[in-house]
Amino acid sequence: MDEPKKPPAMIEVHDLFVEMGRVSILSGVNAKIRQGEITALIGPNGAGKTTLLLAILGMIPYRGRIDIRSGNGRPHIGYVPQHLEFDRGMPVTVMDFLCLPRQRPPVWLWHGRKMREKAQANLEWVEASHLAGRRLGNLSGGEIQRVLLAHALIDDPAIILLDEPASAVDRSGEELFMNLIKRLRRERNLTLLMVSHDISMVTRLASQVICLNRVVLSEGKTADVLTEQTLSTCFGSDKGLLLHDHQWEGDTELSCAYDPDHPDRPDHPEGK
Amino acid sequence: MDALYHLMDHALPFAWAGDLFMKRALLAVVLVAPVCAAMGVMVVNFRMAFFSDAISHSAFTGVALGVLLGINPLYTLIAFGIVVGLAIISVRRLSSLSVDTVIGVFFSFAVALGIVIISARKGLTRDLQSYLYGDVLTVGDGEILAMGLLFLAAIVFLSLWFNALILIGINERLAKAQGIRVKALEYGYALLLALVVTLSIRVIGLLLVTAMLVVPAAAGRNLAGSVRGMFWASVGIGLASGVIGLIGSYYWDSATGATIILVACGFFILSQAVSVVRR
Repeated sequence: MDEPKKPPAMIEVHDLFVEMGRVSILSGVNAKIRQGEITALIGPNGAGKTTLLLAILGMIPYRGRIDIRSGNGRPHIGYVPQHLEFDRGMPVTVMDFLCLPRQRPPVWLWHGRKMREKAQANLEWVEASHLAGRRLGNLSGGEIQRVLLAHALIDDPAIILLDEPASAVDRSGEELFMNLIKRLRRERNLTLLMVSHDISMVTRLASQVICLNRVVLSEGKTADVLTEQTLSTCFGSDKGLLLHDHQWEGDTELSCAYDPDHPDRPDHPEGK
Repeated sequence: MDALYHLMDHALPFAWAGDLFMKRALLAVVLVAPVCAAMGVMVVNFRMAFFSDAISHSAFTGVALGVLLGINPLYTLIAFGIVVGLAIISVRRLSSLSVDTVIGVFFSFAVALGIVIISARKGLTRDLQSYLYGDVLTVGDGEILAMGLLFLAAIVFLSLWFNALILIGINERLAKAQGIRVKALEYGYALLLALVVTLSIRVIGLLLVTAMLVVPAAAGRNLAGSVRGMFWASVGIGLASGVIGLIGSYYWDSATGATIILVACGFFILSQAVSVVRR
Protein backbone atom coordinates (compact mmCIF):
# COMPACT_ATOMS: atom_id res chain seq x y z
CA MET A 1 0.00 0.00 0.00
CA ASP A 2 1.27 3.50 -0.84
CA GLU A 3 2.25 5.68 2.10
CA PRO A 4 0.04 8.78 2.44
CA LYS A 5 1.69 11.84 0.94
CA LYS A 6 3.57 13.94 3.50
CA PRO A 7 2.15 17.43 4.06
CA PRO A 8 4.44 20.22 2.84
CA ALA A 9 6.84 21.89 5.26
CA MET A 10 5.42 25.03 6.87
CA ILE A 11 8.74 25.94 8.48
CA GLU A 12 12.10 24.88 7.08
CA VAL A 13 15.23 25.42 9.13
CA HIS A 14 18.49 25.34 7.19
CA ASP A 15 21.92 25.19 8.80
CA LEU A 16 20.93 27.20 11.84
CA PHE A 17 23.63 28.39 14.23
CA VAL A 18 22.93 30.31 17.45
CA GLU A 19 25.64 31.51 19.79
CA MET A 20 25.26 33.31 23.11
CA GLY A 21 28.59 34.99 23.74
CA ARG A 22 31.12 32.27 23.09
CA VAL A 23 28.74 29.42 23.87
CA SER A 24 27.24 27.58 20.94
CA ILE A 25 23.57 26.77 21.57
CA LEU A 26 22.58 25.43 18.16
CA SER A 27 25.16 24.32 15.62
CA GLY A 28 23.88 23.43 12.18
CA VAL A 29 20.24 22.61 12.83
CA ASN A 30 18.19 21.42 9.84
CA ALA A 31 14.54 20.60 10.40
CA LYS A 32 11.10 20.66 8.77
CA ILE A 33 7.87 21.42 10.57
CA ARG A 34 5.04 20.11 8.44
CA GLN A 35 1.81 21.96 7.75
CA GLY A 36 -1.22 20.96 9.79
CA GLU A 37 0.77 18.62 12.02
CA ILE A 38 1.66 18.69 15.68
CA THR A 39 5.44 18.43 15.92
CA ALA A 40 7.06 17.82 19.29
CA LEU A 41 10.53 19.17 19.99
CA ILE A 42 12.25 17.00 22.58
CA GLY A 43 15.73 16.95 24.03
CA PRO A 44 17.62 17.21 27.33
CA ASN A 45 17.92 20.42 29.34
CA GLY A 46 20.14 22.92 27.55
CA ALA A 47 19.60 21.23 24.17
CA GLY A 48 18.48 24.51 22.59
CA LYS A 49 14.75 23.76 22.25
CA THR A 50 13.53 27.15 23.48
CA THR A 51 16.33 28.83 21.53
CA LEU A 52 15.03 27.23 18.33
CA LEU A 53 11.52 28.55 19.08
CA LEU A 54 12.91 32.04 19.72
CA ALA A 55 14.90 31.91 16.46
CA ILE A 56 11.75 30.96 14.53
CA LEU A 57 9.97 33.88 16.22
CA GLY A 58 12.82 36.15 15.08
CA MET A 59 13.55 37.18 18.66
CA ILE A 60 17.25 36.25 18.74
CA PRO A 61 20.09 36.66 16.22
CA TYR A 62 21.14 33.54 14.29
CA ARG A 63 23.11 32.38 11.28
CA GLY A 64 21.46 30.17 8.70
CA ARG A 65 18.01 30.35 7.16
CA ILE A 66 14.48 29.87 8.44
CA ASP A 67 11.85 29.71 5.67
CA ILE A 68 8.24 30.09 6.70
CA ARG A 69 5.77 29.13 3.99
CA SER A 70 2.85 31.35 3.37
CA GLY A 71 0.34 31.96 0.60
CA ASN A 72 0.42 35.73 0.96
CA GLY A 73 3.16 37.16 3.12
CA ARG A 74 4.69 35.76 6.29
CA PRO A 75 1.97 34.17 8.43
CA HIS A 76 1.57 35.39 11.98
CA ILE A 77 3.02 33.03 14.55
CA GLY A 78 1.28 32.59 17.89
CA TYR A 79 3.48 31.90 20.91
CA VAL A 80 2.63 30.26 24.23
CA PRO A 81 5.52 30.65 26.72
CA GLN A 82 6.41 28.08 29.36
CA HIS A 83 5.45 30.26 32.32
CA LEU A 84 3.99 33.71 32.44
CA GLU A 85 6.29 35.34 34.96
CA PHE A 86 4.66 38.57 35.96
CA ASP A 87 3.75 40.75 38.90
CA ARG A 88 0.60 39.01 40.14
CA GLY A 89 -0.53 42.14 41.97
CA MET A 90 -0.96 44.08 38.71
CA PRO A 91 -4.64 44.86 38.20
CA VAL A 92 -4.78 43.41 34.69
CA THR A 93 -7.94 41.54 33.74
CA VAL A 94 -7.96 38.69 31.24
CA MET A 95 -9.88 40.98 28.84
CA ASP A 96 -7.21 43.70 29.27
CA PHE A 97 -4.49 41.14 28.56
CA LEU A 98 -6.15 39.87 25.38
CA CYS A 99 -6.86 43.38 24.06
CA LEU A 100 -3.38 44.82 24.81
CA PRO A 101 -1.41 43.56 21.80
CA ARG A 102 -3.69 44.53 18.95
CA GLN A 103 -6.14 47.16 20.18
CA ARG A 104 -5.36 50.62 18.79
CA PRO A 105 -7.07 52.81 21.42
CA PRO A 106 -5.29 52.63 24.79
CA VAL A 107 -7.04 50.31 27.26
CA TRP A 108 -7.29 53.26 29.68
CA LEU A 109 -9.99 54.60 27.36
CA TRP A 110 -11.98 51.48 26.50
CA HIS A 111 -11.85 47.98 25.05
CA GLY A 112 -12.73 48.27 21.36
CA ARG A 113 -15.95 46.42 20.45
CA LYS A 114 -14.38 44.28 17.71
CA MET A 115 -11.39 43.45 19.89
CA ARG A 116 -13.64 42.57 22.83
CA GLU A 117 -15.76 40.26 20.67
CA LYS A 118 -12.66 38.62 19.22
CA ALA A 119 -11.15 38.14 22.70
CA GLN A 120 -14.43 36.71 24.01
CA ALA A 121 -14.67 34.29 21.06
CA ASN A 122 -11.10 33.09 21.68
CA LEU A 123 -11.83 32.65 25.38
CA GLU A 124 -14.89 30.56 24.51
CA TRP A 125 -12.72 28.50 22.18
CA VAL A 126 -10.34 27.65 25.02
CA GLU A 127 -13.29 27.04 27.39
CA ALA A 128 -12.42 30.08 29.49
CA SER A 129 -15.15 32.62 28.68
CA HIS A 130 -15.98 32.88 32.39
CA LEU A 131 -12.48 34.27 33.05
CA ALA A 132 -12.85 37.48 30.96
CA GLY A 133 -13.33 39.80 33.95
CA ARG A 134 -10.98 37.99 36.34
CA ARG A 135 -7.58 39.39 37.28
CA LEU A 136 -4.72 37.62 35.56
CA GLY A 137 -2.87 37.31 38.87
CA ASN A 138 -5.75 35.36 40.45
CA LEU A 139 -5.78 32.55 37.87
CA SER A 140 -4.48 29.02 38.39
CA GLY A 141 -1.64 27.61 36.27
CA GLY A 142 -4.09 25.77 33.98
CA GLU A 143 -6.30 28.83 33.55
CA ILE A 144 -3.29 31.01 32.69
CA GLN A 145 -2.13 28.52 30.04
CA ARG A 146 -5.57 28.55 28.41
CA VAL A 147 -5.61 32.35 28.49
CA LEU A 148 -2.13 32.33 26.92
CA LEU A 149 -3.47 30.05 24.21
CA ALA A 150 -6.35 32.48 23.60
CA HIS A 151 -3.74 35.27 23.49
CA ALA A 152 -1.69 33.35 20.90
CA LEU A 153 -4.82 32.90 18.75
CA ILE A 154 -5.71 36.60 18.75
CA ASP A 155 -4.27 37.25 15.25
CA ASP A 156 -5.60 34.03 13.68
CA PRO A 157 -2.09 32.61 13.28
CA ALA A 158 -1.19 29.82 10.88
CA ILE A 159 1.45 28.49 13.27
CA ILE A 160 1.56 28.18 17.04
CA LEU A 161 4.74 27.60 19.01
CA LEU A 162 4.27 26.17 22.51
CA ASP A 163 7.12 26.07 25.02
CA GLU A 164 6.39 23.30 27.53
CA PRO A 165 2.77 24.39 27.64
CA ALA A 166 1.62 22.09 30.43
CA SER A 167 4.60 22.25 32.79
CA ALA A 168 2.75 24.39 35.35
CA VAL A 169 -0.63 22.72 34.93
CA ASP A 170 -2.29 20.13 37.16
CA ARG A 171 -3.47 16.77 35.79
CA SER A 172 -7.06 17.78 34.94
CA GLY A 173 -5.85 21.04 33.43
CA GLU A 174 -3.32 19.14 31.34
CA GLU A 175 -6.03 16.86 29.97
CA LEU A 176 -8.15 19.85 28.98
CA PHE A 177 -5.15 21.60 27.44
CA MET A 178 -4.23 18.54 25.37
CA ASN A 179 -7.78 18.31 24.03
CA LEU A 180 -7.59 21.98 23.04
CA ILE A 181 -4.34 21.38 21.16
CA LYS A 182 -5.90 18.45 19.30
CA ARG A 183 -8.94 20.61 18.43
CA LEU A 184 -6.69 23.40 17.16
CA ARG A 185 -5.06 21.06 14.69
CA ARG A 186 -8.28 19.34 13.66
CA GLU A 187 -10.67 22.30 13.41
CA ARG A 188 -8.33 25.15 12.51
CA ASN A 189 -5.74 23.14 10.62
CA LEU A 190 -2.95 24.92 12.49
CA THR A 191 0.68 23.91 12.40
CA LEU A 192 1.88 23.39 15.96
CA LEU A 193 5.44 23.10 17.23
CA MET A 194 5.60 22.12 20.88
CA VAL A 195 8.58 21.83 23.21
CA SER A 196 7.86 19.14 25.78
CA HIS A 197 9.60 17.12 28.46
CA ASP A 198 6.45 15.11 28.97
CA ILE A 199 6.79 11.99 26.83
CA SER A 200 3.19 10.94 27.48
CA MET A 201 1.99 14.25 26.11
CA VAL A 202 4.28 13.84 23.10
CA THR A 203 3.01 10.36 22.32
CA ARG A 204 -0.60 11.38 22.66
CA LEU A 205 -0.44 14.62 20.71
CA ALA A 206 2.42 14.71 18.26
CA SER A 207 2.47 13.13 14.84
CA GLN A 208 6.06 14.28 14.22
CA VAL A 209 8.97 14.46 16.64
CA ILE A 210 12.26 16.32 16.38
CA CYS A 211 14.91 15.11 18.80
CA LEU A 212 17.35 17.95 19.43
CA ASN A 213 20.61 18.28 21.30
CA ARG A 214 22.36 21.29 19.73
CA VAL A 215 21.88 19.48 16.41
CA VAL A 216 18.93 17.42 15.21
CA LEU A 217 19.61 13.83 16.26
CA SER A 218 16.46 12.38 14.80
CA GLU A 219 13.39 13.68 13.01
CA GLY A 220 10.29 11.97 11.67
CA LYS A 221 7.08 10.27 12.66
CA THR A 222 6.58 9.87 16.39
CA ALA A 223 6.73 6.08 16.20
CA ASP A 224 9.99 6.19 14.25
CA VAL A 225 11.74 8.70 16.51
CA LEU A 226 10.66 7.59 19.99
CA THR A 227 12.73 4.45 20.03
CA GLU A 228 14.89 3.32 22.88
CA GLN A 229 18.02 3.82 20.82
CA THR A 230 17.19 7.38 19.70
CA LEU A 231 16.12 8.43 23.15
CA SER A 232 19.18 7.06 24.86
CA THR A 233 21.37 8.81 22.26
CA CYS A 234 19.48 12.03 22.81
CA PHE A 235 19.11 11.97 26.57
CA GLY A 236 21.89 9.67 27.72
CA SER A 237 21.30 9.18 31.40
CA ASP A 238 19.22 12.37 31.57
CA LYS A 239 16.02 11.84 33.49
CA GLY A 240 14.42 15.01 32.23
CA LEU A 241 11.54 13.13 30.61
CA LEU A 242 8.34 12.81 32.57
CA LEU A 243 6.13 9.79 32.76
CA HIS A 244 2.53 9.95 33.89
CA ASP A 245 0.27 7.02 34.72
CA HIS A 246 -2.20 8.01 32.05
CA GLN A 247 0.29 7.75 29.22
CA TRP A 248 -0.62 4.15 28.75
CA GLU A 249 -4.04 5.15 27.46
CA GLY A 250 -2.25 6.05 24.24
CA ASP A 251 0.25 4.14 22.21
CA THR A 252 1.57 1.65 24.73
CA GLU A 253 4.57 0.55 22.73
CA LEU A 254 5.76 4.07 22.03
CA SER A 255 5.45 5.34 25.54
CA CYS A 256 7.39 2.38 26.88
CA ALA A 257 10.25 2.79 24.52
CA TYR A 258 12.36 5.25 26.45
CA ASP A 259 12.20 3.44 29.78
CA PRO A 260 11.93 -0.31 29.36
CA ASP A 261 12.22 -0.94 33.09
CA HIS A 262 9.53 1.47 34.17
CA PRO A 263 7.05 -0.33 36.47
CA ASP A 264 4.14 1.34 34.67
CA ARG A 265 4.83 -0.70 31.54
CA PRO A 266 1.95 -3.08 30.93
CA ASP A 267 4.44 -5.86 30.36
CA HIS A 268 6.48 -5.11 33.48
CA PRO A 269 6.26 -7.90 36.07
CA GLU A 270 5.18 -5.42 38.75
CA GLY A 271 3.21 -3.25 36.33
CA LYS A 272 -0.50 -3.00 35.56
CA MET B 1 -2.14 83.83 29.25
CA ASP B 2 -3.84 87.00 30.53
CA ALA B 3 -7.18 85.87 29.09
CA LEU B 4 -6.79 82.57 30.91
CA TYR B 5 -6.05 84.30 34.21
CA HIS B 6 -9.06 86.56 33.65
CA LEU B 7 -11.22 83.50 33.06
CA MET B 8 -9.87 81.91 36.25
CA ASP B 9 -10.84 85.06 38.19
CA HIS B 10 -14.48 84.40 37.23
CA ALA B 11 -14.40 80.62 37.57
CA LEU B 12 -12.58 80.58 40.91
CA PRO B 13 -13.91 83.44 43.06
CA PHE B 14 -11.98 82.25 46.14
CA ALA B 15 -9.51 84.08 48.37
CA TRP B 16 -6.74 81.55 47.69
CA ALA B 17 -7.11 81.98 43.93
CA GLY B 18 -6.94 85.78 44.03
CA ASP B 19 -3.21 86.28 43.51
CA LEU B 20 -1.56 85.75 40.14
CA PHE B 21 1.11 83.47 41.62
CA MET B 22 -1.62 81.15 42.94
CA LYS B 23 -3.32 81.01 39.55
CA ARG B 24 -0.01 80.08 37.95
CA ALA B 25 0.62 77.52 40.69
CA LEU B 26 -2.84 76.00 40.15
CA LEU B 27 -2.22 75.72 36.40
CA ALA B 28 1.18 74.11 37.02
CA VAL B 29 -0.33 71.60 39.48
CA VAL B 30 -3.27 70.74 37.21
CA LEU B 31 -0.86 70.11 34.30
CA VAL B 32 1.84 68.23 36.19
CA ALA B 33 -0.03 66.12 38.79
CA PRO B 34 -2.16 64.00 36.37
CA VAL B 35 0.82 63.41 34.06
CA CYS B 36 2.95 62.26 37.02
CA ALA B 37 0.16 59.94 38.17
CA ALA B 38 -0.40 58.48 34.67
CA MET B 39 3.33 57.87 34.18
CA GLY B 40 3.34 56.50 37.72
CA VAL B 41 1.08 53.61 36.61
CA MET B 42 4.07 52.25 34.67
CA VAL B 43 6.59 53.30 37.34
CA VAL B 44 4.70 51.24 39.94
CA ASN B 45 3.96 48.27 37.67
CA PHE B 46 7.53 48.18 36.28
CA ARG B 47 9.08 48.84 39.73
CA MET B 48 10.92 51.91 38.43
CA ALA B 49 10.69 54.18 41.50
CA PHE B 50 14.46 54.04 42.00
CA PHE B 51 14.97 55.02 38.34
CA SER B 52 12.81 58.09 38.84
CA ASP B 53 14.74 58.91 42.05
CA ALA B 54 18.04 58.79 40.16
CA ILE B 55 16.73 61.24 37.54
CA SER B 56 15.31 63.62 40.14
CA HIS B 57 18.55 63.59 42.17
CA SER B 58 20.56 64.28 39.01
CA ALA B 59 19.01 67.75 39.37
CA PHE B 60 21.76 68.52 41.91
CA THR B 61 24.26 68.39 39.07
CA GLY B 62 21.87 69.80 36.47
CA VAL B 63 21.23 72.97 38.47
CA ALA B 64 24.87 73.35 39.52
CA LEU B 65 26.03 73.01 35.89
CA GLY B 66 23.52 75.63 34.75
CA VAL B 67 24.66 78.19 37.31
CA LEU B 68 28.30 77.35 36.67
CA LEU B 69 27.93 77.78 32.89
CA GLY B 70 25.66 80.82 33.15
CA ILE B 71 22.69 79.02 31.52
CA ASN B 72 19.12 78.90 32.90
CA PRO B 73 19.39 75.97 35.37
CA LEU B 74 16.03 74.61 34.16
CA TYR B 75 17.58 73.78 30.75
CA THR B 76 20.64 72.04 32.19
CA LEU B 77 18.45 70.28 34.74
CA ILE B 78 16.24 68.80 31.99
CA ALA B 79 19.19 67.98 29.70
CA PHE B 80 21.19 66.27 32.46
CA GLY B 81 18.10 64.34 33.64
CA ILE B 82 17.53 63.01 30.11
CA VAL B 83 21.21 62.03 29.76
CA VAL B 84 21.12 60.15 33.09
CA GLY B 85 17.81 58.40 32.20
CA LEU B 86 18.97 57.21 28.78
CA ALA B 87 22.41 56.24 30.12
CA ILE B 88 20.82 54.03 32.78
CA ILE B 89 18.69 52.23 30.17
CA SER B 90 21.60 51.67 27.77
CA VAL B 91 24.05 50.48 30.45
CA ARG B 92 21.39 48.15 31.87
CA ARG B 93 20.92 46.65 28.39
CA LEU B 94 24.65 46.19 27.84
CA SER B 95 25.55 44.96 31.32
CA SER B 96 24.76 41.81 33.24
CA LEU B 97 24.37 43.85 36.44
CA SER B 98 20.94 44.10 38.04
CA VAL B 99 18.81 47.17 37.35
CA ASP B 100 19.06 48.57 40.87
CA THR B 101 22.86 48.24 40.85
CA VAL B 102 23.13 50.17 37.57
CA ILE B 103 20.72 52.84 38.84
CA GLY B 104 22.62 52.99 42.16
CA VAL B 105 25.88 53.76 40.33
CA PHE B 106 24.32 56.56 38.26
CA PHE B 107 22.42 57.91 41.27
CA SER B 108 25.66 58.15 43.26
CA PHE B 109 27.55 59.72 40.35
CA ALA B 110 24.87 62.34 39.69
CA VAL B 111 24.54 63.36 43.35
CA ALA B 112 28.30 63.29 44.05
CA LEU B 113 29.15 65.42 41.01
CA GLY B 114 26.48 67.94 42.01
CA ILE B 115 27.74 68.15 45.59
CA VAL B 116 31.36 68.59 44.42
CA ILE B 117 30.38 71.51 42.16
CA ILE B 118 28.11 73.09 44.78
CA SER B 119 30.67 72.77 47.58
CA ALA B 120 33.39 74.28 45.40
CA ARG B 121 31.17 77.27 44.51
CA LYS B 122 29.61 78.34 47.81
CA GLY B 123 27.07 80.76 46.29
CA LEU B 124 25.21 77.91 44.56
CA THR B 125 23.47 76.64 47.69
CA ARG B 126 20.89 79.44 47.51
CA ASP B 127 19.98 78.57 43.90
CA LEU B 128 19.50 74.96 44.84
CA GLN B 129 16.90 75.63 47.56
CA SER B 130 13.96 76.08 45.20
CA TYR B 131 14.83 72.86 43.39
CA LEU B 132 15.28 70.84 46.58
CA TYR B 133 11.83 71.60 47.99
CA GLY B 134 10.09 72.90 44.87
CA ASP B 135 8.74 76.41 44.50
CA VAL B 136 5.50 76.30 42.58
CA LEU B 137 4.61 79.82 43.70
CA THR B 138 7.43 81.29 41.57
CA VAL B 139 6.62 79.35 38.40
CA GLY B 140 6.57 81.65 35.34
CA ASP B 141 4.42 81.66 32.20
CA GLY B 142 7.23 80.08 30.16
CA GLU B 143 7.39 77.11 32.52
CA ILE B 144 3.60 76.72 32.44
CA LEU B 145 3.77 76.64 28.66
CA ALA B 146 6.47 73.96 28.83
CA MET B 147 4.29 71.95 31.26
CA GLY B 148 1.34 72.32 28.87
CA LEU B 149 3.42 70.95 26.00
CA LEU B 150 4.59 68.08 28.21
CA PHE B 151 0.95 67.38 29.10
CA LEU B 152 0.07 67.09 25.40
CA ALA B 153 3.17 64.98 24.65
CA ALA B 154 2.27 62.60 27.49
CA ILE B 155 -1.31 62.22 26.19
CA VAL B 156 -0.01 61.41 22.68
CA PHE B 157 2.61 58.97 24.02
CA LEU B 158 0.19 57.21 26.37
CA SER B 159 -2.44 56.99 23.62
CA LEU B 160 -0.07 55.38 21.14
CA TRP B 161 2.05 53.11 23.32
CA PHE B 162 0.32 52.54 26.66
CA ASN B 163 -1.00 49.08 25.64
CA ALA B 164 2.40 47.94 24.41
CA LEU B 165 4.12 49.22 27.57
CA ILE B 166 1.70 47.37 29.83
CA LEU B 167 2.27 44.16 27.84
CA ILE B 168 6.05 44.65 28.17
CA GLY B 169 5.47 45.09 31.92
CA ILE B 170 3.56 41.81 32.07
CA ASN B 171 6.10 39.79 30.08
CA GLU B 172 8.81 41.15 27.80
CA ARG B 173 9.21 37.96 25.77
CA LEU B 174 5.49 37.77 25.05
CA ALA B 175 5.55 41.42 23.94
CA LYS B 176 8.49 40.72 21.61
CA ALA B 177 6.64 37.72 20.16
CA GLN B 178 3.78 40.10 19.33
CA GLY B 179 6.18 42.23 17.29
CA ILE B 180 6.41 45.03 19.85
CA ARG B 181 9.69 46.98 19.60
CA VAL B 182 10.62 46.65 23.24
CA LYS B 183 13.98 48.44 23.11
CA ALA B 184 12.69 51.53 21.27
CA LEU B 185 9.71 51.80 23.63
CA GLU B 186 11.94 51.49 26.70
CA TYR B 187 14.06 54.41 25.50
CA GLY B 188 10.97 56.42 24.57
CA TYR B 189 9.42 55.84 27.98
CA ALA B 190 12.67 56.70 29.79
CA LEU B 191 12.95 59.94 27.80
CA LEU B 192 9.39 61.01 28.61
CA LEU B 193 9.79 60.02 32.26
CA ALA B 194 13.00 62.08 32.50
CA LEU B 195 11.13 65.09 31.08
CA VAL B 196 8.18 64.60 33.45
CA VAL B 197 10.44 64.24 36.49
CA THR B 198 12.68 67.21 35.70
CA LEU B 199 9.80 69.56 34.85
CA SER B 200 7.88 68.48 37.95
CA ILE B 201 10.84 69.34 40.20
CA ARG B 202 9.84 73.03 40.12
CA VAL B 203 6.42 72.07 41.52
CA ILE B 204 7.23 69.30 43.99
CA GLY B 205 10.98 69.52 44.63
CA LEU B 206 13.64 66.97 43.77
CA LEU B 207 13.43 65.27 47.15
CA LEU B 208 9.76 64.36 46.74
CA VAL B 209 9.05 64.25 43.01
CA THR B 210 9.23 60.44 42.88
CA ALA B 211 6.45 60.36 45.47
CA MET B 212 4.23 62.26 43.03
CA LEU B 213 4.70 59.42 40.56
CA VAL B 214 4.52 56.53 42.99
CA VAL B 215 2.00 57.42 45.72
CA PRO B 216 -1.11 58.19 43.58
CA ALA B 217 -0.39 55.18 41.34
CA ALA B 218 0.10 52.90 44.36
CA ALA B 219 -3.22 54.12 45.80
CA GLY B 220 -4.85 53.59 42.40
CA ARG B 221 -3.48 50.07 42.22
CA ASN B 222 -4.93 49.32 45.68
CA LEU B 223 -8.38 50.40 44.55
CA ALA B 224 -8.53 49.14 40.94
CA GLY B 225 -9.52 45.80 39.47
CA SER B 226 -8.40 46.56 35.91
CA VAL B 227 -5.78 48.57 34.01
CA ARG B 228 -8.34 51.24 33.11
CA GLY B 229 -9.46 51.44 36.75
CA MET B 230 -5.87 51.87 37.95
CA PHE B 231 -5.15 54.56 35.36
CA TRP B 232 -8.14 56.75 36.20
CA ALA B 233 -7.96 56.19 39.97
CA SER B 234 -4.27 57.23 39.89
CA VAL B 235 -4.93 60.30 37.74
CA GLY B 236 -7.89 61.31 39.93
CA ILE B 237 -5.92 60.88 43.16
CA GLY B 238 -2.90 62.73 41.70
CA LEU B 239 -5.04 65.65 40.60
CA ALA B 240 -7.02 65.80 43.85
CA SER B 241 -3.79 65.64 45.90
CA GLY B 242 -2.28 68.46 43.84
CA VAL B 243 -5.24 70.82 44.16
CA ILE B 244 -5.99 70.04 47.84
CA GLY B 245 -2.26 70.26 48.68
CA LEU B 246 -1.92 73.64 46.93
CA ILE B 247 -4.96 75.13 48.69
CA GLY B 248 -3.89 73.58 52.02
CA SER B 249 -0.39 75.03 51.73
CA TYR B 250 -1.90 78.50 51.08
CA TYR B 251 -3.86 78.42 54.35
CA TRP B 252 -1.23 76.60 56.44
CA ASP B 253 1.64 78.59 54.93
CA SER B 254 3.53 75.35 54.35
CA ALA B 255 5.75 74.11 51.50
CA THR B 256 3.39 73.30 48.61
CA GLY B 257 5.26 70.26 47.24
CA ALA B 258 5.46 68.55 50.62
CA THR B 259 1.79 69.37 51.40
CA ILE B 260 0.71 67.80 48.08
CA ILE B 261 2.66 64.64 48.89
CA LEU B 262 1.16 64.47 52.40
CA VAL B 263 -2.36 64.63 50.93
CA ALA B 264 -1.42 61.91 48.41
CA CYS B 265 -0.11 59.77 51.29
CA GLY B 266 -3.48 60.30 53.04
CA PHE B 267 -5.22 58.91 49.93
CA PHE B 268 -2.79 55.99 49.91
CA ILE B 269 -3.59 55.12 53.56
CA LEU B 270 -7.32 55.21 52.77
CA SER B 271 -6.81 53.02 49.68
CA GLN B 272 -4.77 50.55 51.73
CA ALA B 273 -7.59 50.34 54.28
CA VAL B 274 -10.12 49.73 51.48
CA SER B 275 -7.86 47.06 50.00
CA VAL B 276 -7.49 45.28 53.36
CA VAL B 277 -11.27 45.40 54.03
CA ARG B 278 -11.97 43.95 50.54
CA ARG B 279 -9.76 40.94 51.23
